[in-house]
Amino acid sequence: MTELAFSMNAPVVAHSPRPTAANATAKMSARRLNFHYDRFHAIKDVSLDIAENRVTALIGPSGCGKSTLLRTFNRIYSIYPKQVASGELLLDGENILHPKYSLNQLRSKVGMVFQKPVPFPMTIFENVAYAIRHYEKLSKAEMNLRVEQALNQAALWDEVKDKLKQSALGLSGGQQQRLCIARAVALKPDVLLLDEPTSALDPIATSRIEQLIAELAGEFTIAIVTHNMQQAARCSDFTAFMYLGELVEFGPTEKLFTQPGKKQTEDYITGRFG
Amino acid sequence: MHQTSEHIVKSYDEELDRLTGEILRMGDLALNELEAAINAAMERDSETAQRIVDSDQDVDNLEHEVSHDVIRLLALRQPMASDLREVLAALRIASDIERIGDYSANVAKRAIALNRVERVRPVFSLPRLGKLAGDILSEVLLAYRDRDADRALLAWARDEELDGLYTGMFRELLTYMMEDPRTITACTHLLFMAKNIERIGDHATNIAENVYFIVHGNRMPQARRKGDRTASLVAPGSGIAG
Repeated sequence: MTELAFSMNAPVVAHSPRPTAANATAKMSARRLNFHYDRFHAIKDVSLDIAENRVTALIGPSGCGKSTLLRTFNRIYSIYPKQVASGELLLDGENILHPKYSLNQLRSKVGMVFQKPVPFPMTIFENVAYAIRHYEKLSKAEMNLRVEQALNQAALWDEVKDKLKQSALGLSGGQQQRLCIARAVALKPDVLLLDEPTSALDPIATSRIEQLIAELAGEFTIAIVTHNMQQAARCSDFTAFMYLGELVEFGPTEKLFTQPGKKQTEDYITGRFG
Repeated sequence: MHQTSEHIVKSYDEELDRLTGEILRMGDLALNELEAAINAAMERDSETAQRIVDSDQDVDNLEHEVSHDVIRLLALRQPMASDLREVLAALRIASDIERIGDYSANVAKRAIALNRVERVRPVFSLPRLGKLAGDILSEVLLAYRDRDADRALLAWARDEELDGLYTGMFRELLTYMMEDPRTITACTHLLFMAKNIERIGDHATNIAENVYFIVHGNRMPQARRKGDRTASLVAPGSGIAG
């Protein structure tokens, strides 16, 4: 009886956009961002905001510049002398492209996870602790707690808590990827960059990562590059469609996948791209 | 008119085309049913009327095929954006056409009953009503074939005219029954036939709205005007609501 009364009193919502897409504020902002691989102009005048505590997906065909854009967000390209970013890339209002912006500080604020999980050839515990030691001096008890916390956040703790001293190389691909996510979140970054994090994983492992992304979004600002459009549609609050280095369309994911504003976007997401 | 390029995967286009073909075939069958039902009533041909009633099963079968194809497309192709609207609209349009088929079959059933009693004059108002409903349906189906939202809008607007005709026929039948109670049986059947045809118009407007949705991705902006005013009609001098 109570249940019936409850269900009958439930509000009827005719149209409910994902509440997470509403009231977002910008954590990172690209302003007329350009990127060159030597003479190749890979990103052309891109301006977009990455919303705080939301998931932003970058989609587009191979070579459109989406991974390059993601790589500028933590300046990972800066080890290559001929790769140059220009324009502005603001993180909490500060331009991270400015030469005086500390790379060390940037990397602690912006973590990254790659397509292929790359665990360090050491124990599961050390994989997570290694990065923390680089930035902080913690007691053994504090470190244990921190590693557990990170593994929990990456939804891996229950599977590895009894084999923390075993090599990380013995984990499955999906577990290795979650370990990489644990390693990234252990540093308590503000932003997490995911570069095709599930393209090497099977569907079950992929679902786990997608669920993890949804859980992490409450705490971190997430930008994800994916070739899987359904994944972008499922996981993200905002989606940017890029083509030939340009940002073609950017907006709430629901809008982009149901009523895209540009024909190029429509052609791409419906599989008409020739 | 709505133009889209082809999918990279050709079989996807073929499946979407097949869906459109099924809908158009359904529409064609339902339209023929309606026209034949009116003719059967006018010519007092109960045999043909019975055949129409039986043939409605074809429309129902096609609706099942459409449902099956829609489920298949959703599961295997995961359509997005305009493709998703196509598939969703196909399901809704098929359901509207199935109802139109039912109403046409009802008209045919009533025609058989009508043939058992003496003919009354208001029966001659039926073809005009049926023709208008058929014209609207035919226009709406062409608008669907061509994904032409403007054509759909024009057809949609004509439903008001159909509602007006229906209200007129309602009044006429009421007057006949008042004047000569011996016509009540025939007139009551005609009343239901007219109402069925009026409902066909409503389903045709639903289809028009779906064509608009396929093309533009949102609802038709116009508010639905209702021309059927029979709900407030009162028999002259009787105080009985219609």
